[in-house]
Amino acid sequence: MPEVEALSAQGASMEEIPMETTVLIIGGGWSGMKVAAELISMGYGVVLAAGGTGIGGEPPGDHSASVNQKALTTLLGSVKKADGIEILTSTSLVSLTGVPGSFRARFEQSGEFLERDVGAVVVALETQRVSLAEAYGLSEDENILTQSQLEHVFASGEEKDRLLGGGSKDVLFLVGLQQEGGPVVMERAIESAINIQEAEGLQATILVGNVKLAQHGLETLYKQSREKGVLYFKLREPPHIKQNGVDVSIEFFDNVLHGPVVLRPDVLVVEEAIRSHPQASDVAQVLGIDRDAEGFLQSDNVHFFPTRSNREGVYVVGPARLSSSLAEGWKDAQNAVLEVRQLLGKGKRVVPREKAKIHRGKCTICLTCFRVCPHGAIYWDNRAVISPVACQGCGICASECPMDAIQLVDFRDDQIEDQILQLSATSVDGPQMIAFCCQNSAYEAAQMARVVGGSAPKGLQIVKVPCAGKVDVDYILTAFKAGVDGVLVLACHKDNCKSQQGNTFAEWRVEHAGNMLEESGLEKERLCFATIASNMPMEFVRITKEMEDKLNQLGPSRIKRGAAA
Amino acid sequence: MKQGSKENSPNQSPKEVLVIGGGIAGLTSAWELARLDIDVQIVEKSPFLGGHAIEFCCKATDECQKCGACLVGKRVLEVIQEPRITVHLRSELKSVTRNSAYGYVLSQRPLYINPNKCTNCGLCFDKCPAAGAIVRGYAKTDGSLFAIDEAHCLYFKDGSCRLCQDECPEKAIDLDQGTGQVSGEADAIIVASGFQVFDAKARPRYGYGINRNVMTALELERMLRDKAEVLRPSDNKAPKTIAFIQCVGSRDHQLHHGFCSQVCCGYAMRMAEAISHRDPEVKVSIFYMDMQNCGKNFSAFYERCKEHVRFVRFMPGDIFQGEGDQLILCYATEKDGRPVREPFDLVVLSVGIMPGASNVGLADMLQLDLDEHGFFAFTDPMDKTTPKQNGIFLAGTAQGPKDIADSMGQAGQAAQRAAQYLGVMACLK
Repeated sequence: MPEVEALSAQGASMEEIPMETTVLIIGGGWSGMKVAAELISMGYGVVLAAGGTGIGGEPPGDHSASVNQKALTTLLGSVKKADGIEILTSTSLVSLTGVPGSFRARFEQSGEFLERDVGAVVVALETQRVSLAEAYGLSEDENILTQSQLEHVFASGEEKDRLLGGGSKDVLFLVGLQQEGGPVVMERAIESAINIQEAEGLQATILVGNVKLAQHGLETLYKQSREKGVLYFKLREPPHIKQNGVDVSIEFFDNVLHGPVVLRPDVLVVEEAIRSHPQASDVAQVLGIDRDAEGFLQSDNVHFFPTRSNREGVYVVGPARLSSSLAEGWKDAQNAVLEVRQLLGKGKRVVPREKAKIHRGKCTICLTCFRVCPHGAIYWDNRAVISPVACQGCGICASECPMDAIQLVDFRDDQIEDQILQLSATSVDGPQMIAFCCQNSAYEAAQMARVVGGSAPKGLQIVKVPCAGKVDVDYILTAFKAGVDGVLVLACHKDNCKSQQGNTFAEWRVEHAGNMLEESGLEKERLCFATIASNMPMEFVRITKEMEDKLNQLGPSRIKRGAAA
Repeated sequence: MKQGSKENSPNQSPKEVLVIGGGIAGLTSAWELARLDIDVQIVEKSPFLGGHAIEFCCKATDECQKCGACLVGKRVLEVIQEPRITVHLRSELKSVTRNSAYGYVLSQRPLYINPNKCTNCGLCFDKCPAAGAIVRGYAKTDGSLFAIDEAHCLYFKDGSCRLCQDECPEKAIDLDQGTGQVSGEADAIIVASGFQVFDAKARPRYGYGINRNVMTALELERMLRDKAEVLRPSDNKAPKTIAFIQCVGSRDHQLHHGFCSQVCCGYAMRMAEAISHRDPEVKVSIFYMDMQNCGKNFSAFYERCKEHVRFVRFMPGDIFQGEGDQLILCYATEKDGRPVREPFDLVVLSVGIMPGASNVGLADMLQLDLDEHGFFAFTDPMDKTTPKQNGIFLAGTAQGPKDIADSMGQAGQAAQRAAQYLGVMACLK
């Protein structure tokens, strides 16, 4: 498996860049305030876009023993009296332009526009709770409460006496039967059930799908609740519910009792879904960051663990990215603060002057690079400019640029083409293959395969690329023209690309190049696109061997045969 | 990464943190601290970095399943390239004294293989006559990918063999290397000592260690990683039916394990998906009590799994030997409670996360408390990185069960707290 040594870095010169040390926080809930308090304690400035109602609000699981109420009061106090914080209420973010360290945020406040310069953005939108009563086929009535309403009833003695007082009553909870739910939903239901059970004359029963306990201390709480007499029925499907005003009957088959069970609770408590903030979609659009399939911010990509987003300098914490407990939200807040500290430092940052260069004579300002850059690293200043802070050097812009106006400093096209020609001129045993390997996955797997696998094909040659999205159609055609028998483009798995779409671009280009091969009379099968993870060396061996087998069947490439003749 | 003793490293920064444990949590804390110009000493008791998670396989189908296993090797690479981090392999904390800082002494067992000479040719591994005496690591580092396990090595048994030392073309092996000791002073400590996997033999009803075709999920992870395929141990053939049994060792009040391990549902579902993707003919069943969430978009993921994987809500009792090499599981159907005996080619036990074996000793040395289950106890429910000693922080599974993402999250938080404690966070004050 011969390989030309990785292209040497050009010794790019370094550049000191000033970084704005004010941070924009979107969301004035408990996670947003936590971020604000931490940043202020570090000496950073904070612009807190708190939305309509200002800061504070109801903490998740407000009656939960796992919430330190005193910590909340202290936090609120410290944010309120802090210097260096500007709290914007009744404002909405209209745009965020610029690059990490130098963003300009534009807000609208009752018809007026405001602008603030910020170095980074932390999104800390809280979640919203949505009653699932309708999904259960229940309509509002005085004895039908949502989980939140029950918590309020318990907080107010008067209401509690009215609803739950006066003799023995059965209180039934419906949890995880109209949604998968999660530990946050489960914890609230269990805590309320314990409260009910401890009150005189009340019996709590929980009808539940999966008991979600994957959170510290929840199994203990669950056990406690059962010891106190809370009854649980685990169902696979939602029960049959009949409601006639305040009369509710609930019927289901119990597989422990092996028979149908009918319950007629006096009070019914319905679970709530925890959904993303109503403004999450707008905020995502303005910031240019992705959302996941459930509408929470941040796409589901492991390279963003825990708080990074697809736009450099924009971080997402706690309830903005998934349903989480307050403590988890704060854990995220502290991670985001760490990211901000790493990014903005003491207000300046030394970075390589450029990872990519734009040839001004060739650039026609078509905006393609701006659109395809997955890191938000390209901006406009009468011409396309690449931010050295945000650029990750993936090269997607360079490969997509229709004018070939962009070159990566460390992976120039002419260098890679030279490497391809050099490799293809080397004589090897067996079918000659060039594998373009993403440095984040296939290249690592290939390196490990040498040690653990041993038996990758002898005719395999490797060209390291910064991202599969940098593999040009030209590279593939150059390799075939030079007479190699096969070409592999090995990318990260879908949703695992550090540059998000690099693997997709690569797959498209392979398809395109395949069609071109076919038109020119070469077998399409000589070109292979596959995805692989960095930690799977044997998978690398398997993929390359399969290719070797295929090429053995096809025989030497016609171009090579032609050259030999 | 700098290997070995601290004396060789010029102390560029006045601040230094000792990180106990070189798994994903310890590595992440160390990496984050080093980026803040804090010197870090990582003490790792095994010969390799990466902890348990480095052994985990990629569980992607055509798509990434978001297990995060691939992040571990990357973190190892980042750490070894970071000059501020010094790694002490095969080392353990021996004593700690508290003054204004933490004076520490590490005892270092010999590596035997000189990392500067070893070229990872693998000759020692191939030639060694004793099974398990030379072990191979999983991550590429600047050190050796191989290590010698005294427990299986013939030289340490009776001095009868030193083949590896003689054969090594680089003369990198010295079986007579002695133990060492390193001492130093740290301004803060991060406890990221990890977990131990539940010993499936402690639940004898599943016949682990007796029935060859009962394996643990960790063994399956390693097999998928090493071979990129599933083979039944008894005959090395691909199994057609596989049963995962969840909560083996977790949520087990008989064993006083009153906690959910938080990772098993995720890894079982992801491996089941990966296996059925490779060969749709393989039928995978998961026996469970309650399926737990993992990561973002869980509902959609669970629904997708249900298309390929059968979920049976029942914890099977004993496992019997069936025809040939098959195993019989007994369970009752959820629909009508009818008892069923069903044969499987392979049974995988979803073993849980248990407190680390060194927790008691470490807690004693550092004057920390353990919780009722044996994990390190925290004092603030809003911040699980804080034990009762100032200047010490908790990260990862040392504090309680966590998946890779959560461990990394807590490790970042611990690093942030440690940096704050050292006055490094407040850079503009």
